[in-house]
Amino acid sequence: MTPLPSIVVLKSAGQTTIQDLGRTSLVKDGIPPAGAFDALSLKIANKLVGNDPGDWMVIGSRPGAAGLEVLMGGLSFVPTRNAVIAVSGAEADVAVDDAPAEMWKSIQVPAGARVSIGPSRHAARVYVAIDGGINVPPVLGSRATHVRARLGGLGGRALRQGDVVPLEPGDPHDLPDRWLSPDRRPKLSPPWALGVVLGPQDYLFTSASVDTFLATEWKMSHVADRMGCRFLGPPLSFRERPDYLIAQAGSDPSNIVDDMTHFGGIQVPSGLEPIAMGVEFPSIGGYAKIATLISTHVSRLGQIRPGDSVRFVSYSLEAAVAELRACLEPASFEPAVV
Amino acid sequence: MLYDRPVHRPIGEIAMAVEVSDELRLEHSFRVLALKQALEADLPKGVRELIPTHRALGIVFDPLVISFIELSDVIRSLEPALDRLRTLPSRVVEIPVWYDDPWSQACARENGVKDNMEFLAEINHTTVQGVIDWHTGRQHWVSAVGFQPGTYQTIPLDTSEVITAPKYERPRKSTPARIVCLAGMITSFYPFESPGGYQLLGRTPLELYDPDQRLSAFRDGPVLSKVGDRHRYVSIDEIEYRRIRTEVERGSYDYRIEPGECRLEDWVRAT
Repeated sequence: MTPLPSIVVLKSAGQTTIQDLGRTSLVKDGIPPAGAFDALSLKIANKLVGNDPGDWMVIGSRPGAAGLEVLMGGLSFVPTRNAVIAVSGAEADVAVDDAPAEMWKSIQVPAGARVSIGPSRHAARVYVAIDGGINVPPVLGSRATHVRARLGGLGGRALRQGDVVPLEPGDPHDLPDRWLSPDRRPKLSPPWALGVVLGPQDYLFTSASVDTFLATEWKMSHVADRMGCRFLGPPLSFRERPDYLIAQAGSDPSNIVDDMTHFGGIQVPSGLEPIAMGVEFPSIGGYAKIATLISTHVSRLGQIRPGDSVRFVSYSLEAAVAELRACLEPASFEPAVV
Repeated sequence: MLYDRPVHRPIGEIAMAVEVSDELRLEHSFRVLALKQALEADLPKGVRELIPTHRALGIVFDPLVISFIELSDVIRSLEPALDRLRTLPSRVVEIPVWYDDPWSQACARENGVKDNMEFLAEINHTTVQGVIDWHTGRQHWVSAVGFQPGTYQTIPLDTSEVITAPKYERPRKSTPARIVCLAGMITSFYPFESPGGYQLLGRTPLELYDPDQRLSAFRDGPVLSKVGDRHRYVSIDEIEYRRIRTEVERGSYDYRIEPGECRLEDWVRAT
């Protein structure tokens, strides 16, 4: 009997998870999208191997093919069938059976060859797409791993040595080699700029603190994961609140009566260490949110490493929508045939 | 304070909040649900999801299909009708709880709290049975769902008697799965092992979150609680807890869910 096509994990140094563009329309149930933290890089990798890249996180209708998200690099695996793979995202050394291979380019990998990815440089997350995609059963419309809720992926957890990850059969037609030229790749190194739309609760902060938020060079702290990332910098302060709100919402000046938290929301508990929400955000919370990352820059948040410098840049709604339109334009990342 | 008119606030470029007030009150929660019902009757193109919470309706939308301003105009046109919606469909869901169970006790002890329920009784000048009687003796209105998958927040409909609980000063690193808990007058629930700061009341044998949708009560979605449901708690002992738990694990437990309506006038004096 021929074994089902798969990849066998030889080593995973950090957190490697199966991701696509995540779940949609389940925030009302407390279920965030999960999915690739740097969704743009996964989309490009999928394009390079001829997979469906999907449309977009949260508002999309197609999660696209599932690939691997490799936190800080450090992964080796063997496919059991001939495969075409592409590696994107944070810069890392890639090799197939000790022969160096390029990132942002389709790579032919014969069955049984070892693919290894070294530690990442300048950014946090490396992505691997494999032709056909990873074939774990979709849960609630997506194959994305939601680590905290143990949902999707392979048993809802990060991959371990010895795991056998099922693959789709793969497209039988020969895929011409493709690559994305360096000038069209996202810039994935510090210093970082993250676009935000102010609100929904910027009016609860003093106007001097809103200015400080936008003028400060923040440092990402070590408290950073797929749920959210904290930033170190000056304290922010709040306007005076009426007494009934102190009784209703809580004694801390940052407290509000709980409302919806969303993709890229930036809450500031006690005015200290703003937390920018990632792809596994808690869906309600009781802290004022000064601003919200524009959705295409949540991808960028997923590439920032602890200690990196970050500025928040104010976008008008119109500018944020223009950025989204440009990013989703297929031509913006259509690879060239080599 | 109920705003004169709901305030529309952007949440990035892909969502907005329609905020009716800054407070947690049953009549404000009703208004949020009334707006949700009005929008659902003729859902604007491009709207992806409606997310009701205590005092605001979150709307996720594709800004390449409908703009913030266009969506805002649709909502403004619906606002005059909201006052008239004072009866909403509302299920009653029965949740059996083993109050003061050994898992809650152990969890409290690990966090330096000698006796969780005794503490709640003491600060509310009643007995442990008094706390249980208060919690089981009234319906609780679900005014928000979320935080984690399956977590809900409810407020008691009848507030003629009050039991309140402070949050833990230092949040716990871990709480066992299926714990029902209280902070202020808000009852909430931990669907799986997780950090938390609410006071522990007891443990339910029911799953209220079923991502595999294995149990029949989850045919329509992975989370049982919907905003606008009413919860009724029933005190059970260890034997009953184990019997129900076995049935839930086998997938044969029949959840007690009754359809119904909730009239605002029954709970809030007309203004």
